[in-house]
Amino acid sequence: MRIVSCFSDIKELGPLAEAGADEFYTAARELPAFHSGELPLSRLPGAIELAHSLGRKISVAVNALLATATVRQLAAVEKGVRRLDDAGADSFIFASPYLLRMFSAPGRKLRAALHLSSVQPVFNSRAAAFFARFGVSRFILPNQLDPREAGPLLAFCRERGIGTEIFDYRFFGCVYVNGRCQLHKPGHYTTRRGLPEGAMCRVSAGAGGLVRPLPPDLPRRAAEFPGILARLERRLTPCGAPRFSDAAAFFDLLSAGVGYLKYGTRRDAPAAKVSKVRAMRAMISLAESLRARLPAAAARREFIAEMSRWNGGGL
Amino acid sequence: MAVEKGIRLGPVSLDSLLGTGSARDALRGFSRVYIGPEFCEELLDESLCREAVRLSGLGKKVCLLTPMLGERGAAKLDRVFAGLAALAAKGRLRPAGLEITVNDFGAVELAAKRRLPFRLNAGRLLRDNVFDTTGKPLKVHNGAALEFFRSIGITRFEIPAIGALPVSNFREGRRYGFDRRSFRVTLHYPYLDLTTTRACPTGLRDAVPGGRNDRAACARECLIGPFELRHPMIKEKLLIRGNAVFLEFPEKFYSSERQLAALNIDRLVYSPFP
Repeated sequence: MRIVSCFSDIKELGPLAEAGADEFYTAARELPAFHSGELPLSRLPGAIELAHSLGRKISVAVNALLATATVRQLAAVEKGVRRLDDAGADSFIFASPYLLRMFSAPGRKLRAALHLSSVQPVFNSRAAAFFARFGVSRFILPNQLDPREAGPLLAFCRERGIGTEIFDYRFFGCVYVNGRCQLHKPGHYTTRRGLPEGAMCRVSAGAGGLVRPLPPDLPRRAAEFPGILARLERRLTPCGAPRFSDAAAFFDLLSAGVGYLKYGTRRDAPAAKVSKVRAMRAMISLAESLRARLPAAAARREFIAEMSRWNGGGL
Repeated sequence: MAVEKGIRLGPVSLDSLLGTGSARDALRGFSRVYIGPEFCEELLDESLCREAVRLSGLGKKVCLLTPMLGERGAAKLDRVFAGLAALAAKGRLRPAGLEITVNDFGAVELAAKRRLPFRLNAGRLLRDNVFDTTGKPLKVHNGAALEFFRSIGITRFEIPAIGALPVSNFREGRRYGFDRRSFRVTLHYPYLDLTTTRACPTGLRDAVPGGRNDRAACARECLIGPFELRHPMIKEKLLIRGNAVFLEFPEKFYSSERQLAALNIDRLVYSPFP
């Protein structure tokens, strides 16, 4: 499994490569990305050149789903993408189907590879087949993919030589489906105060009084309300939400052949980025060494036990 | 432009509605009935085919809502699609009387594979692919976004009520590269689906350490009723039903059908329940 690391400054590339990053990705300020880029587009050719000199590939995220653009703005986006394509970018990450279509159409196809962002979540092999028609060469899988259900999707990709990528569960993951969520955009509601990172999906309140049942639609099952209420209270307060993305899921997806592990918090300080990439390298090494010397079930068990002791190491 | 009125049954099954003997009253005034699970694949089953036929027999047009799909959900939906295709082939369902709303591109693929004779719509969960509903004005991204959906046979888009009826960029089609006559909008009210998860906070059982969450083990707790959530940072009350979180906009949100027409809305869908 190879590591794909974000970066937000060209100076980060060398230390990240040394820490174990096999590939890089970033976004350009002028191109529509899920999180806007820190680097101006004009600096990306230099980053591409440096990444290549380090023997690493580099992707550019143009993965905004809310990619509203006038005809003129869209022409500027196309020009920017083609400029980076000419500069040697190895791949572009898209989420918007119209951008994917635009850059895969006959006569307009990019030289670089196309990756599908997790912001356009693919949870099944049929959706993968849909997007594969646009020449997608890698799916960045959503962190709510249940490993038990991933088999046909991964098999589809394997048969067609399409790469698969997951996020490191320790450094990324919201319980809600990215790309199908408007909770983080306070356009529809009013807030009491500022919005700290993660505040909307991890309700920062102690349990008790957070949730109350409304009149039931099935009164004969109303006796189940107290149990459900307790479950909701627990899950809507910090760290209680059930997730599919955890140590067990990582081990299972690595074992199933997922080829890339991503870390994408571009706002992290350079030192934090390096520490996280080192932690990712250590986790992959642990999983691979356990798989090499233990039967599958024992390796999985041991891996989960080891990772449950991981305390962040100051991250 | 006449505005078509629809009703979304949501958690209420047609069987239970018919069981009360008041189905005709409940459905009066609505020419189209929305059935099917919009947010959770666990609720997909082949009884939807029977519901479509029964509603058709009551003289209603039907729209089948389909959810985001995992592999199991895709297999279930494929069985529903096979059932609908068979009913259409036997003449028990008129292709013009049924639409299917997709909320997963895998459903588009399945519909194409089955060569379904029904029109497809893009559901609320796909709205960000075409519109920015989070700001004012409401914007179509551009003509390329509409053209993408047109290329897969979709020209009708479903959006939720988003509070006050907004202004839009629909009159600026030339600037954004689209013809506003090329698409129609269905507006669901009074609930806005704010977010959804596959790790259902209501029904998912707790996993044992090292084990896995089992989505299939839910007891359909979502059907029992909704919950109100007081988010400490949000002034409005939120509603939780199963794996989805909603906002409610109960106030009347338009003054005339002309106002709706300005937003290409030619169909209103009322949800009695979130």
